[in-house]
Parts: sequence; structure tokens; C-alpha cells
Amino acid sequence: MMNQIAPARSYSQIVSSQFNKNKLAVISLHVIYVLLFVFIFADFLANDKPIVMHYKGSTYFPVFREYGVNWFGMNWQDEFKSQQFKILEDRYEEGDWAIYPVIPFSSTEYNLQVKLQPPSMAHVFGTDELGRDVLSQMIHGARVSLLVGFVAVAIYVVIGVFLGALAGFYGGIMDIIIQRMIEIMITFPRMFLIITIVAVMETQSIINIMIILGLTGWTGVARFTRGEFLKVKNEDYVIAAKALGYRDFRTIFRHVLPNTLTPVLVTATFGVAAAILIESGLSFLGFGAPPEQATWGSLLSSARDTLPTGWWLTTFPGLAIFITVTVYNLVGEGLRDALDPRLKQ
Amino acid sequence: MRKSFIIQFTLLILLIIYANIGDRSQAELTEDTLGNAGGVRVELTGDEKIFESSPTGRAPEKGGTLVMAQSAEPENLNYYTSTSAAATRFLDYIYEPLLDYDYETWRYDRPVVAESFEISEDGLTFIYKIRENVYWHDGQQLTAEDVLFSIKAILNPFVDDAPLRTSYSKVVNADIDGSFVFHISCSETYFRNQEILGGFAIMPKHIWDPQGLMDRYSVADLLNPTVTREEAAIKEFAEAFNTHPQGRPVGDDAEPIIGSGPWLFDKWVTGDHMALARNDNYWGADSTYIKNYSEDGAYLDKIITKVISDATARLIALKAGEIDFVPRMRAIQYFEQTITPDFLEKFQKVSYVVPAYSYIGWNNDKPYFSDKRVRQAMTMLIDREAYNKYIAYGMGIPTIGPFYIFGEQYNHELERWPYDPQRAVDLIEEAGWIDHDGDGIRDKDGIPFNFIFSVSAGSTSSKYMALMLKEDLRKVGIIVNIRQLEWSVYVENLRDRQFDVVSLLWIGGLETDPYQIWHSDNIGDRGSNYIGFKNAEADSLIENARFELDKGKRNAMYFRLQEIFHEEQPYTFMFFQRDPGAYLKEFNGVKWIPIRPGYKLYSWWRGASAMGSPL
Repeated sequence: MMNQIAPARSYSQIVSSQFNKNKLAVISLHVIYVLLFVFIFADFLANDKPIVMHYKGSTYFPVFREYGVNWFGMNWQDEFKSQQFKILEDRYEEGDWAIYPVIPFSSTEYNLQVKLQPPSMAHVFGTDELGRDVLSQMIHGARVSLLVGFVAVAIYVVIGVFLGALAGFYGGIMDIIIQRMIEIMITFPRMFLIITIVAVMETQSIINIMIILGLTGWTGVARFTRGEFLKVKNEDYVIAAKALGYRDFRTIFRHVLPNTLTPVLVTATFGVAAAILIESGLSFLGFGAPPEQATWGSLLSSARDTLPTGWWLTTFPGLAIFITVTVYNLVGEGLRDALDPRLKQ
Repeated sequence: MRKSFIIQFTLLILLIIYANIGDRSQAELTEDTLGNAGGVRVELTGDEKIFESSPTGRAPEKGGTLVMAQSAEPENLNYYTSTSAAATRFLDYIYEPLLDYDYETWRYDRPVVAESFEISEDGLTFIYKIRENVYWHDGQQLTAEDVLFSIKAILNPFVDDAPLRTSYSKVVNADIDGSFVFHISCSETYFRNQEILGGFAIMPKHIWDPQGLMDRYSVADLLNPTVTREEAAIKEFAEAFNTHPQGRPVGDDAEPIIGSGPWLFDKWVTGDHMALARNDNYWGADSTYIKNYSEDGAYLDKIITKVISDATARLIALKAGEIDFVPRMRAIQYFEQTITPDFLEKFQKVSYVVPAYSYIGWNNDKPYFSDKRVRQAMTMLIDREAYNKYIAYGMGIPTIGPFYIFGEQYNHELERWPYDPQRAVDLIEEAGWIDHDGDGIRDKDGIPFNFIFSVSAGSTSSKYMALMLKEDLRKVGIIVNIRQLEWSVYVENLRDRQFDVVSLLWIGGLETDPYQIWHSDNIGDRGSNYIGFKNAEADSLIENARFELDKGKRNAMYFRLQEIFHEEQPYTFMFFQRDPGAYLKEFNGVKWIPIRPGYKLYSWWRGASAMGSPL
């Protein structure tokens, strides 16, 4: 891509070539791809159910079936009602077989007889106090972390962009009201605000956490969007849109917004990293996900009691949080630099 | 991005192939990898109810300071109004009751402030002769006036001591006869009367009620709602009592708490520590204080109780030499983090017993648990043995019922329910919980078997219990939802009976009365029978046993009661608790007893020969 410099390049080509110059950001992007992969295929990476199995003359796909049961109202076959596929191995007949995922343990499956085992071939990242596989918990925990990161940021980007757009476009009393709202929001220390809200919540769930993070994080985006709107709103094409008699709604969202969105994207990337960190913090304090849900933060928290015996319980989840947060920040930085026209060489 | 995914996908396939052909045998824990902690295990079986963990054979010496750590700080230090165990534990060193446990017979008849006592023929009136040589820490003499004042304070309806006052609800009168005779009468011959009527801490009247506001009222007046409503002074006294500076002596210039016990109040620095100093003018030092336990009163110069809420921080403080004694550790600390030769050389580890048992309470009124077969099945679905072995490191003492396993009320005839998932499933199906609609979840009358297990946010052990149960019950078609709740909310839900399943601990004593927890009178209205256990035979046994003064006959009734509990399984009774602790080996005379909190520092002394003293 680098060597074929075309005479006229599109904006996205310019940005991607700028971005590709930053090696660290490129590597980080690939790490994010890996995380994304884990996110999507978690059930095939770590599960106590076989991917494919041949049992008493028929072939089954238990992992796929699980999706059917969870999402499409299907039921387990009668012989698998108890979902204890490993026990079925004793009943195998001639020619029966099963292919298990890479880590043949689910995140909730416990085995007290192997509790607190250091990393070994059987349990690559060791086991926790109940004999659950740490790697399996981390893989399923990655889902929570990334989901929280993306959904929370999506929520607050929508809120922030909407309010920022209104404030920037209309100015006047609208601007004053929204600016004061922003100031009120940022006077509260975010972590305390979140903990307070979580503490009064009846039930613990990831969805609550995502919503709370979304509702408390929009101020930065709103300010950003407002600033961009102030910059853009007197451009000729905006005036032209107004002159053509377009409704404000169309002007704002069709004409102004697309030209202000790229910087918001950069903040959002940093936002994902921040949200993951906050979620881990909340889970560490026991306010986050429900106890049966493996998350990186709750893994770390349970490890605190076992130190210094169980070093693997802190090291691996800690590293996972560190790497994820770092790569998002690096990608965000790369994106910011690539989008900044002043840095263009 | 596409390239990335293709590479990863190929990698995944390869890994799956590798994982499925590779050898995955894993090392399992065996008896000896579970380990020996290198500590002393206190056993209180048989008649021997005092256990000395490091006997020296030498005579105790006076002197030295003990610094210990505890997890919580009391909200105040008013003996009657404080509800925290931390306050009681601390104030028990300062205040004294009329009677206490005899450390040989373990009956509640050792005279402390009382010299002797008599019970009237009808068993309703208790007459105490008060010692004439008891002095308060400020030098004033303790008389029957103080005892009468104390019971008046407890019975005053405006004093914030409702939980304590309920124990005295059967008192009808109390008065003094001269300066050294106190008598008190009840309406019923309750078997625990001796313990309750002789067991309250005596407070100095001249400190708490210098104006004598309560002198005008008799005990009968205080029990008469018409009088207490009309007489403003009763309320006025109660308000002064509830907020009296003696109940919260914080800071350097605070007046010390005045008691009569072998220790003087020294200091309370909130959030940091509480301190006691030995009372060298202790009235009881001349006579034998506690026979066979601590004959001269107290030996240590000073006891400092630090407040360190985090278990890890407590262990670090112990290892760093900041504290000398940690009464409660986590099992994992005891078995895995304190087994180095260095630690064992410097500290003595002990696992001692406390009269408290853990249980899982099934709300008997919920459709899931209203059938005793389901409750029996639940008990058989919980692998209590494995839990005890691996999670509790064998620190639990399995129990079949609510009575203290080292007491006389416990029925040793009954066999524990086995761990038997197959029999459990049969029972659940017999009770009608079958997967009718084929969705993988059992149901009955249209209600799916899907309940909430409430867990207190701080409790790791009940969290583990809930996680294990969730995983196990999923396999038999029952859904468990775990809800973690803040302690205050948890207790609130418990009292309002808004729960399906709870996992908790009851703290009892050597001899307990099951009325409060098991009688159907105490269902609802915030009573302690919050799981709603109701059984006509159990009710009548509980009622009759209360007024049966013959121990043998009474215990026979309790044995029968335990059979009913065993059959009904209102709770799944788990374990009596062993608390693991550790103290510096410099301390001697360390003795463990079957009553709360399992130890009394009266007998402890610090050896002059410092470390390495003979065991």
C-alpha cells in the first residue's frame, strides 16, 4: 500500500497510511483483533461442552446447541439434559468420540480437588479457590470487559454527541443549560458517583454497569462535539444548507455532524480503555458483575485473599487488564495523530 | 482485519486438535497436600472443657502488654445499648455480673459480685447476697443499690436496649433488702433464669445516675406502661443514659469507664485501638478469682485491641510484630500462609471452637421449599464433606442440629444426611418438581424451580457455597440466582422474610433455648424464626422444655426436637465453627474455653524468658 502512491488519495487512505506509520499502534490494533476474536469465539475457546461429538450413533454439536437453548428457545436433547458431557464419556460405546474446545472447562465449572493449582498443562493459567480454570474465566471475562467497554462508550457517545450538537449549533440559552449540566456532572468524582448508584441498585448485572458508565461519561464527548460544532457551524456549506431551508435536524445530523465526528472517535477509543478499567475496579470492589460472572476485576479481587500463595491469580488477570487498556490507548493515540492535519508529513 | 481473523481461526483449529490429542491428566489434592498447618487443635470432648495450648507448668508472672487485633470497632461502649460483639467482649473485662460460669462444672453458678444466692421454693424468686468487699474503680463501694439501678436501667422502656430487654420480659419485681441483699422475681420458672438474672453487667449508679432520677421508681413502676408514660423523669433518665459520655469515652481527656472488674479502662482511639490496664486494686485478687483458670484475676499489664478490618492486613501486622495475637484468621492463611518454619517458631497457632454454627436456611413458606422432601433433597445435594475439606480446610465440625456439639443438649444419636444427589433427585421428583414443559428447568404448578440465594457481600465462604450450589443444581434442572447484598440490607430482608435462601451463622452458648429461633410464635413481626418453621410437636416441646427445671427431662425433649429438625430439615445444618488463630509464643497460660469468644485473657501472662520458652 505504501509504495503505490496514487496522485489523488481519499481521506481514509491518507489516514490509514498515516496510521500505519505508527508501528506500535498497528501492533496494538492486531492485539485488539485478537481480543475481538476471543470475544466472539469465547464459547469455542473455553467450554465444558464438546464442539462436536459422536454419541450412540448420532453426531451432536453441543456448543451450537447451547446458543440455541440460550437464545432461540430450543431444548437440550434428553440424554444431555444434565449437560455433564464429561461424565457421558464413561458411557461411550465403540466408535463414540468428542472434540472439546482448547480449554475444556467452562468458567463456572468447579472441581475442589484441583483447587489453587499453579499453572500446568491441564490448567494453563492455574486454578482458583474453587478449582475453576483461570484461563477459562479470563476468556469469558474478556467478553464482559469488552462488552462493557463498547456498550458504555456507545451510550455516552450518543448522549454526548446529541447534547454537544444542540449546544454548539444553537448556542444561547440551550448552550448555557447544557454547559451547566456538564459542569454539574463533572463536579462529582466519577468513581464515587458510580459506586453510589450501584450500591442503591437492587440487582447486580453487567447491563446496569454499562448503563451507569454510559450515563456518567458523556461530558467529555459533549464538550468536544460542542467545540467542533462552533468551529464548523459558520462554514459555507452549513450556511448553504440553512439557506436552502433545510430543517435544523437535517442540517445538524446530515451536514455538520459527519464533519465533527472523527475527533469524537478518538475520544471514544480512549473511553473504551477507561470503561474497561472502571469495570475492573468495580468488580474488584465487589460492586460490578454478579458473583457467578467471571470478570477480570473479580478474578483479581478473589486473588487478593490468597496472596502470596496464588500468584497466578493476580498475574494473569492483571496482565490482561494492563494489555487491553494499553492497546486501546495506543490505538487511540495512533488514530489521533493520523487524524491531525498538523502532523501530516 | 480479515487476514488477522483467518490466522487466528487457523490457530484455533490447530490448538483444538492439540488440546484433544494431548495428555491432560491433572494432579489432584491428596490428604497430605492439603497439609498440616503446624498448629494445635483444641478438642473439648468429654468432661475436659478447658484446653491449654502451651502449658509451661510455671507459676504465672505479672507484667507485659498484649496487642491483639479484631475486625470491627464497637459503635459505642454502653454495655446495654451496644449491639456489637466487639463492645461486649471489651466491656466484659471492665464490668462484672452477679454470677458467671463455673469453669469446672460449666454451670452458671460461680459467685462473682454475689457472694451466694438462693432460689425460693416456687423457683420464681432469686435472692443474691452481695459481697461487702467490692469496690468500683474510683474507690466507691459496690452495693445492692448499684445492682438494683442496673436492672432498672435495663427495664427502662426508653433505654435503647430492646434486644437485651426481651430476655428480662418475665421479670415482675426486684428490690433490695439492706445494702447487700438483692432479690428479683419472675412470673415463670424458666430454665435459663439463673443465667439471665445473674448475668447482667452491673453498672455504677453514682456515675450513670448521680441525681438519683430512678430512685423514685420501683421496678414494678417501670413495668407499668401507665407510669412510664406519665413520669417524664423516666424518659429523661433514659435519654441521658443513652448518650452518657461513659458510653463513648473517646479521646485523651475522656473520663474512664468505671467498672469493678480486674481491668481498668485505659483509652479508646476511634478507628485505631482500645486499651485496658490491669486493676492492681482489684477486690477479687485476694480470693481465688476463677478456680482452675485464672486464680489471681489478671496478669497482663495492658491489653490493646487494634481495629484492623482486613484479614490480610491483620496477618501482615502479626508477622511484622505490630500485634501479638490474631484471634481469627482466614482458613487459607492458617493452612497456607503461616506454615514457614520461621512463623511456626515465633508463633503458636491454635484452632479453637466457638459455639456458633453455619447453616443454609430455606424459606419454608416459598413454594420451592414448603415440602420437607425438597429440603431433605437440598441437604443431600450439598456435598458438605467436600466443602469442609477443601474450602474450610476441615475446620468445620459437622452438626445435625442447632445445639452446641460440646454441650449436653446435643443429640449424638442422629446420623447426618449423606451426600446423595441421586436420592435427592428422586425426592424432588416425588415432591412433584418435574420438567413438565421440557425447557430443562423443573417446575410444579407452573412455577419454575428458580430461586435466589442471598449472600452477604463480605462473606467469601457463603459466596463459594452459592457458586457451588448454582453449578450443581443447574445439572439437575434447578436454577439458582446469586444475589450479593450489603449486610444492613441483608438483615433487613431477613427480618421482613423477603428471601428464598440464606447462608448464615448463629452464635449460641453452652446451653441454649430454641424458642427464639424455632417456635412458630416468632414467625413474622421481625421474629428470628424468619425461615418460617412451623411444627406443632416442636412448638409444644419447646414450650414445655422452657419450664422444665430437670436437666435430664429437658434434654430428652431437646433430643426429640432435634429428631424433628433432622426430619424436617428447615435448615441444612452445616458446621460448628473452628476459629483459627495465632499468638506470639512468649505468652503463657493461654487457655481455650467452650464459651464465647473461646478465650478469656485473664489467664494469659507474658513469660520473662522471652522467646523460645519451653512449650
